[in-house]
Amino acid sequence: MKIPFTLPRWFWLAVLGTALLAAFGWVAMKSGPLAPIQVTVTPVVTGEVTPSLFGIGTVEARRAYLIGPTVAGRVERVLVDVGDQVKAGQLLAEMDPVDLDKRVAASGASVARGRSAIVTAQAQLADARSRLTLAASEARSYTDLGKKNFVSQSVVDGKLQQQQSAEAQVAAAEATHQSAQQDLARLEAERQGTRQQRGNIRLEAPVDGVVTSREAEGGSTVVAGQAVLKLIDPASLWVTTRLDQSRSAGLRVGLPTEITLRSSVRGAVAGKVARIEPVSDSLTEERIAQVTFENLPPGVSTGELAEVIVRLPTVRDVLLIPNAALRRRGARSGVWVHDDGKLRFVSVKTGAEGQDGMVQVVDGLKAGDEVVVYSQRELRDGSRIKVVLSLVKTAK
Amino acid sequence: MDASAPTGVGILIEGLSKRYGEGAAAVDALKDVNMSVAPGEVVGLIGPSGSGKSTLLKCLGAITTPTHGRMTLGGEVIFDQRWKITDLTALRRDRIGFVFQAPYLIPFLDVTDNVALLPMLAGQPDARARARAMELLQALDVVHRAKALPSELSGGEQQRVSIARALANRPPVILADEPTAPLDSERALAVMRILNQMATQYQTAIIVVTHDEKIIPTFKRLYNIRDGCTVEEAGEARALQ
Amino acid sequence: MISLAGRDILHAWGKFALTGVGLGLLIGVTLTFAGVYRGIVDDAKVLLANSGADVWVVQKDTQGPYLESSSIRDDVYRDVLGLPGVAQAANVTYLTMQVRGRDGDVRALVVGFEPGQPGEPGFLIAGRRITRSHYEAVADVKTGFALGERIRIRRHEYTVVGLTRRMVSSGADPMVFIPLKDAQEAQFLKDNDAIVNERERTAANPALNRPGEPGLLEAVNAAQASNHNVNAVLVRMAEDHSPDALVQTIQRWKHLQAYSRTEMEELLIAKLIAISARQIGMFLVILAVVSAAIVAFIIYTMTLGKIREIAVLKLIGTHDRTIAGMILQQALGLGVIGFIVGKIAASVWAPLFPKYVLLETWDAVLGFFLVMVMCALASTLAIRVALKVDPAAAIGG
Repeated sequence: MKIPFTLPRWFWLAVLGTALLAAFGWVAMKSGPLAPIQVTVTPVVTGEVTPSLFGIGTVEARRAYLIGPTVAGRVERVLVDVGDQVKAGQLLAEMDPVDLDKRVAASGASVARGRSAIVTAQAQLADARSRLTLAASEARSYTDLGKKNFVSQSVVDGKLQQQQSAEAQVAAAEATHQSAQQDLARLEAERQGTRQQRGNIRLEAPVDGVVTSREAEGGSTVVAGQAVLKLIDPASLWVTTRLDQSRSAGLRVGLPTEITLRSSVRGAVAGKVARIEPVSDSLTEERIAQVTFENLPPGVSTGELAEVIVRLPTVRDVLLIPNAALRRRGARSGVWVHDDGKLRFVSVKTGAEGQDGMVQVVDGLKAGDEVVVYSQRELRDGSRIKVVLSLVKTAK
Repeated sequence: MDASAPTGVGILIEGLSKRYGEGAAAVDALKDVNMSVAPGEVVGLIGPSGSGKSTLLKCLGAITTPTHGRMTLGGEVIFDQRWKITDLTALRRDRIGFVFQAPYLIPFLDVTDNVALLPMLAGQPDARARARAMELLQALDVVHRAKALPSELSGGEQQRVSIARALANRPPVILADEPTAPLDSERALAVMRILNQMATQYQTAIIVVTHDEKIIPTFKRLYNIRDGCTVEEAGEARALQ
Repeated sequence: MISLAGRDILHAWGKFALTGVGLGLLIGVTLTFAGVYRGIVDDAKVLLANSGADVWVVQKDTQGPYLESSSIRDDVYRDVLGLPGVAQAANVTYLTMQVRGRDGDVRALVVGFEPGQPGEPGFLIAGRRITRSHYEAVADVKTGFALGERIRIRRHEYTVVGLTRRMVSSGADPMVFIPLKDAQEAQFLKDNDAIVNERERTAANPALNRPGEPGLLEAVNAAQASNHNVNAVLVRMAEDHSPDALVQTIQRWKHLQAYSRTEMEELLIAKLIAISARQIGMFLVILAVVSAAIVAFIIYTMTLGKIREIAVLKLIGTHDRTIAGMILQQALGLGVIGFIVGKIAASVWAPLFPKYVLLETWDAVLGFFLVMVMCALASTLAIRVALKVDPAAAIGG
């Protein structure tokens, strides 16, 4: 094979050979374990950071009412349906009175009868009294006669005994009268009670609100305490928010929040931390805070999920580094400081962290120190590094 | 241009026999062959095919082992009932030159290196080997093709280069096997002219095995071999132009 | 002295170079296969190293969490935290699942982690670490997700806030890191249809849905829907404390299984990799045999093409050893070219492989020696032929 060049063939092949070896060498240095690790660095800056807490919440009604009977019974009719606005005192449903009406009538009749019994007892008392008067006067007369020995002692005794018996009868008649009066009181109380029971089968709205569920229909049997209807006060909707216990430092009542509802296309609405529950969830390790809406958006339903961001006060004039620079060495947390091409691991203590990833350095670094932010792999003391601008191509 | 120093008696063969096979099937290719060639002489070896020409050549070229006899080369006894030299390849390299029917040049070496190869193999430094090659190429009038590859040369040029190769290590003997067979009479005579010239110039004994009628008349002396026996004859010694 | 081998190669350099390239590609494939094996082992090691853990605590009698599924209560970590020598102990969940991004589904290992605890990716190549407790994710670049992309895992959407690399499972699936609670929900909470179905079934069960006990049904549904399991607890030891003592303690009286880093490595590499290693080993042998055959064939044909020249060389006085040396040198030269081409090819196409290919220097050095030995052996066939050539063939009949 002839090469149409003036230089000898071996020269061209030597060039080819050198090129091959050069490629070989380049490949050996660029890839594989001999290649330096690419990193990016950034200086420690001074700035401000607005830390915030993040939690997931569910919209719930602060006040929810379960409307139901106090005794087991059957629902007679339900007058409202889900979504209806009701006023305080409005009749929402009624239980089947069963025999309650009749029992109210019965107790009325009993009361009437009790009154009659009193009248009877009074009459009996008057009668007994009159008998006593007579027996007493007779006893007096006969005692006089006995003293004058006109009649025998036994006759006198007999008359005395009659007087005593008449006294006893009066006592008995008084007692009967008293008991008739007590009976009347009892019957009247019973009648009140029965009336009240009759009143309880009327289920009325305790406050203005919205019906959120209709649990039983007319004809269903419910037990005491079971809800027939559920009612909420729509103005009292708030977000029950759960925040990780370990990331809830600084949570206080009154902090401003942004609430993003799952269903919302509008974005976040403003809110405020209204209450922090004194009881946290130890199983899920979360604290629970109640967050109210500044202006309740329309169309919010209970059970809706929301993301809540609680804004803590801005911390100003502090040293900041990106949180991607934080690395772990054993159990210590720190950063790799880039010093004249060499790496040094420095433990740092961090403080507040902003949503954007900038974190406050409390201890360990000073302004102007260069720290390694991104690296191609784990760094070690003495790793060979090469500082580049970016490790990834910018997003398409 | 120095002529080679006299290297002794050229070739001397006494009572050479070669038997192939054993017992009843044995074939005696050579029977008691005697031959001598003086330095500077070009001798022809003629005979029909199957007569033992090739066998004789092979014995002379130290490729086959003769059964009996004695061979003396350049004054040194190389065979006496058995080989007296241990490294036969070196013997061929240093003491015998070969010229073949076809040039048989190494296609991947250029002309100079083809000729310089044997001296280099013999241990000469490269520069000296190449110088010697250039000398010979000059003498054979192909020096202008020194850097070319064999494939670029004409047939005649290639043949001349092969003769230069045969002479490269200044062997006392050159064995030429049918060097003119494929050539026409003009070229054949040219080759014979060159061989005679080189033989005289370098005092080399040359044996030419041939059955080419064109050149047989040019020999002064011939050996006719028939059924393994040689007979010396006088040649016509027709002059070469 | 002229190099006969060199001159022959120069003369037929086209054929030689072409064969060299072909051989080189074969060698490149062989090196790549060796690299794939090393990559599998490295994947396993990297998986363990990147978790940052010294001890893994898993369900009793399982070899989880990577080889088998393991499920433990999520309050187990509190017990472990109290043991001597423990600096950090944290829950993690692992589940391989489909993650939907902008350009379609990606199969990924979704890892639930706690920030600042073992299980978190050690370094990033872009973006930032997770700052919110929900719905943010860090993904490995092999997923193809970009910073800021919204990805969907089960019922929630997550924003990719950070990117990392070399975070892959032992099955080469890239990892996506999300907060632990979200991962627990993704793993243990069922889909909507299943939940509705469960609720109906519970409501139809009279033992759980008693009319006299309002609120019982809701409590039962809530209990069924809650998830308090994780796959493992990762432990980081304090300095100068041996993990082995901790492993013993946990296994003895905690009714759990624990593995130290060394034990996990053995498990993963031995079990996961055993079959791959055998497969790759077989491939390597086959490729080596094929490469040797090709070298033998090429050198043999080149030698056959030179039979006449070899006969002439022998006749005019070239020793057998010189001729054998020429053939051997040609075979070795072919090997050198092939190796260089192969090493360059392997390095160039290694990043394009779906699996991680780790080309180690020592493997290349060993490969070079093996190639040389193979070429030398392959040349023996041609050398035998060359030595058998009869110099008399140069002299006709």
